[in-house]
Amino acid sequence: MVPITVEALIKIAIFLFVMMTAAAYLVLLERWMCAWIQDRKGPNRVGVPLTKIKLFGLGQPLADGLKMILKQEYTPAHVDKVLFTLAPIVILAAALATFAVIPMGSILPADVAFGYLDRPVEMIVAPSVDVGMLYVFALSSLAVYGVILGGWASNNKYGFIGALRSSAQLIAYELPLGLGILGVVLVANSLEPEKIIREQASTGLWFAFAQPLGFLVFLVAAFAEAARLPFDLPEAEQELVGGYHTEYSGIRLLLFLIAEFLHMVTASFLIVILFFGGWHLWGLTGANVTDVTWFQSIARVGVLTVKVLLLILFFMLVRWSWPRFRFDQLMTLAWKVMLPLGLVNLVVVAVTQEYHASIIAALEGLGGQFTLTACIWLVSILSCIAIAIIAPRSGDNRPRFYQLPLRGQA
Amino acid sequence: MLCETIHEVGRCQPFASAGPMQELWLPQSVWLPVLLLAIAALGLALTLLGAASVLGPQRTSAVKAMPYESGMDPIHDTRRRFDIRFHLVAIAFLIFDVEILFLYPWAVASGSPAGVDAVVASAPAATGEVAHATEALVASREIVFGEAMVFIVLLALGFVYAWRKGIFQWR
Repeated sequence: MVPITVEALIKIAIFLFVMMTAAAYLVLLERWMCAWIQDRKGPNRVGVPLTKIKLFGLGQPLADGLKMILKQEYTPAHVDKVLFTLAPIVILAAALATFAVIPMGSILPADVAFGYLDRPVEMIVAPSVDVGMLYVFALSSLAVYGVILGGWASNNKYGFIGALRSSAQLIAYELPLGLGILGVVLVANSLEPEKIIREQASTGLWFAFAQPLGFLVFLVAAFAEAARLPFDLPEAEQELVGGYHTEYSGIRLLLFLIAEFLHMVTASFLIVILFFGGWHLWGLTGANVTDVTWFQSIARVGVLTVKVLLLILFFMLVRWSWPRFRFDQLMTLAWKVMLPLGLVNLVVVAVTQEYHASIIAALEGLGGQFTLTACIWLVSILSCIAIAIIAPRSGDNRPRFYQLPLRGQA
Repeated sequence: MLCETIHEVGRCQPFASAGPMQELWLPQSVWLPVLLLAIAALGLALTLLGAASVLGPQRTSAVKAMPYESGMDPIHDTRRRFDIRFHLVAIAFLIFDVEILFLYPWAVASGSPAGVDAVVASAPAATGEVAHATEALVASREIVFGEAMVFIVLLALGFVYAWRKGIFQWR
């Protein structure tokens, strides 16, 4: 028998290696994409050292990482030294620990462990954590601590304003995030990511199609939580230099950057798991929970990876094509648009779920589940229009403040 | 164990059949891998920091130690008064977040017979009125659903109040 400690340690080693490598190369991919959108070449020089082999710039992530480690680990004189060092550690550890409950695939066939295990190996660091989504929330709240500690300890006005903005943004969008998940939890009756995927696999109806409003709310909130454009107010380069990590350099800056990138990867995983069926694809992966074949097991990993990569590409495409919100637009969107939409979604899902059998029976001659889904889409679109009418125009750029009298004119 | 207090006693022990050797290890908790991953993540961060402090140069100067504020000399300390609206957002967040958290147990338990219904079903069973259990179940579902809806309406009322008070007004 292999103790769970050994099994967990093996999984953690694989996970850390894969995730660090993936993050480095996704940064390269993002830079290529940026170069493609801006019609230039991008990083294509660094290849094998001491030779002239370029390899399309595939050595760039390694060179960048090495450079960051060889730079001075500098603490300026004016900062709060303990908090200044603590902030990047907190934010990176929280970003990595979030993945403990996120499945990277389904399960491996039972014969994989060659008799050392009496159960199939689940492709997740911590299987069977039944409050998984709450755990993800708890750790994503810890990211706020990293940001605000960093900005506060920096004793720099750019950093301080960046930290204030960032904490307000992160906590404001945590509410739509929670409301978006609530609809999914109501239908799946579980907070465990694997069970939420199984629910979608067994019905074949992904929650993005069953709850379009919840998906919209969650998608926008996930963008904001990952602090990506158009929500990258915390580190708006053109106005705040670097935001909360203005004073950071070298390896500590790298820790912040990796953590931010991991937030985007986490958000992609969550969107795929909650709304795009996780490892499920019709006609390919099957929906059985036990006794999977090798083909099914590998196909599920492949499907999940491809879906997550597509979402990451979507994140990057949005980043390089959209302008940034203004802070009041950001707050208006969170409180006056996303929160009411999330509440509407919650009520719609709760009612359809509670009276599902009688609604289906009433719609028997009209197409049953299909008509119900169409009705939900209609309600979603109507409520979006209603919110657009109720909430004030966020594109209104007229100045509202009083013009202060100039000195001598008062 | 934590999961026993949340729901579904029994399914939180996937490793229970692993044999007597298990007794020698840490408590059989599903949270053990989470703890290990958290320690590994902390270790990774500390290792990177340590490597940089060993490998990197150690140079400083008076200008390097100053805050970077676009080349200007800093005028005063950073930690001064700031806009009250950040505080209002924090308060509003606390209220609504806690109220939404109250909905999670209902959302998890609402669909399963072992959730909401078990509490009500255990009451008649204890008093011997098994015959009324089914009727009590149907009634309990509707009552619980109605209560959840009332809760959401109260939440929405509070939200409208905060909106009318101008808490979400940023300009």
